[in-house]
Amino acid sequence: MTPGATTRGLPIEISGLSKRFGTVVAVDDLSFTVEPGRVTGFLGPNGSGKTTTLRMLLGLVHPSAGTATIAGQRYQDLANPTSSVGAVLEATSFHPARRARTHLRMAARAGGHDEKRADEVLGLVGLTGDAKRKIGGFSMGMRQRLELATALIGDPDVLILDEPSNGLDPQGIAWLRDFMRYLAGEGRTVLVSSHLLSEMAQTIDDAVIVSFGQLKAQGTLEEITKGITGIVMRARSPEADRLASVLAEAGIAFRRITHDEVAMDGVTPEQVGPLLAANQIILYELTQEGGDLESVFLSLTSGLGFGDVADTAP
Amino acid sequence: MINALRAELLKMRTMPGVWVTFGLAFPLTVLGILIVFASAGGFAGHTFYFVTSLSQRRRLLGAGFFGIEILAPVIGVLCITSEYRQKTITTSLVLVPVRSRVLLAKVIATALWSVLIALLGLVVIAAVALPWNAALGGVTSQVTDQVGAVIPGLLASAVLLGLFGLGFGTLVKNQVAAILLTIGGTLILEGILIALAKAIFHYDLNWLPNGAGAALAGDIARGFGGGGGGDGGNGPNAFHLLTWWQGGLALLAWGLGPLTIGYFTTFRRDVT
Repeated sequence: MTPGATTRGLPIEISGLSKRFGTVVAVDDLSFTVEPGRVTGFLGPNGSGKTTTLRMLLGLVHPSAGTATIAGQRYQDLANPTSSVGAVLEATSFHPARRARTHLRMAARAGGHDEKRADEVLGLVGLTGDAKRKIGGFSMGMRQRLELATALIGDPDVLILDEPSNGLDPQGIAWLRDFMRYLAGEGRTVLVSSHLLSEMAQTIDDAVIVSFGQLKAQGTLEEITKGITGIVMRARSPEADRLASVLAEAGIAFRRITHDEVAMDGVTPEQVGPLLAANQIILYELTQEGGDLESVFLSLTSGLGFGDVADTAP
Repeated sequence: MINALRAELLKMRTMPGVWVTFGLAFPLTVLGILIVFASAGGFAGHTFYFVTSLSQRRRLLGAGFFGIEILAPVIGVLCITSEYRQKTITTSLVLVPVRSRVLLAKVIATALWSVLIALLGLVVIAAVALPWNAALGGVTSQVTDQVGAVIPGLLASAVLLGLFGLGFGTLVKNQVAAILLTIGGTLILEGILIALAKAIFHYDLNWLPNGAGAALAGDIARGFGGGGGGDGGNGPNAFHLLTWWQGGLALLAWGLGPLTIGYFTTFRRDVT
């Protein structure tokens, strides 16, 4: 938990969660936990099952197997759902003819909250001046802010945000980052999915990385970025096939990125350079990518995770 | 439940389509009034004539049924399909995650708006029909004496026709299709089916939604499309409505049937 945080947050637990849409497996035996007082990034490429997982957590999609609970209960079983959980799912869930304040009054009514809360949350997201405007005239960024205001209507202990920075300008993104940190600082649980990794790296405490509906890594940001020993080497060569053979013989885990590019994990330039020189392999490029969140993410979500890398060697 | 209902009422109050539908009750009721006076005039050799018989007096009081049979189902359709059309269903189900509660709130909200449409019709009757009838030479008290016989059935048919629209909208989520099918089904297709059943099988197909609504509303609906018109007599071409309670039950089934099927199929589906 962030230092100084209270204990008002609630834990999220995903256990053995699966979802099939016909023959497509969107989420495959996914398990992870999200702790209060921290901002947890839920990261994965498009189609990796992030949104489906969040929708199962909120009772919008029925799991094929497994459970998704908040403080041990399904969302729909919580006594006061909107006081416990606020969710930002999509910036299009508005009636365009409705005014911003009316939308929030409706949300307040539905959750059993004081309608005065509408003005409070409009102020929190910086939309006070637009309270009487019809939502149909809102920009995407304003809609995102209004979605966030809707999520905050019940002053919830848990915030679930699905790509909340979509449509926000750089100032809005910076504002959102500070806002999420502020909420986590109050002890709330914040689970945020995003594909803006550089942005997430500045915001999150923990990360859950998924690919093809499966968990690839979970831990603190520090643990995850350390887990890959900080280095991904990329080599571009007209002799990529021979390069692959040499790497395989040397027992170096690698994978083909393109027809002339190979990525290697857990090796240094000092190890690879002499090896390739000794085998007289022509190189157009040899680059080292650091162990930041983006490189870890790319390593984990290019179809293979840590444990799979060695298996790719021919 | 109260919270969900209050939210639902605010939603409907802030939908332009609901107000347009509500507003249409005024011209449609006026049209109903014109039909009553014109038909009374036809018997009396005038263009328009005051109402005299018991049947005519009740029909004048219930002239709002002409609007109700069209507009109440539309209110029900709008209540549910706007959630899908505007994609607000996600927010609605996050705010109230128990789906049966959301649907029940919609049932009550639709019923209330359907009653409002019926009440607007009654206001138009009071403001237009009664003074006009008096101006034509009719006795107002002879019409208002029938309030007890007409109003309960009128309100009940409004509620149940609204429920029918809601149920239909739950099944057919596309708003335009649901409205066209509801109006077209009750006003056009039902009339065609009734005529065919009568002509071919000599059978009174009187349990379809509009016919059932007409039966519940009583004698007032004859000539407004409900029950397919007919002379109401005992001739070979007479169309016999169900009794009021049979009509009520049939209309209730037309509402609850689609609603139940829609709940267990469409409404409980994944919201992706």
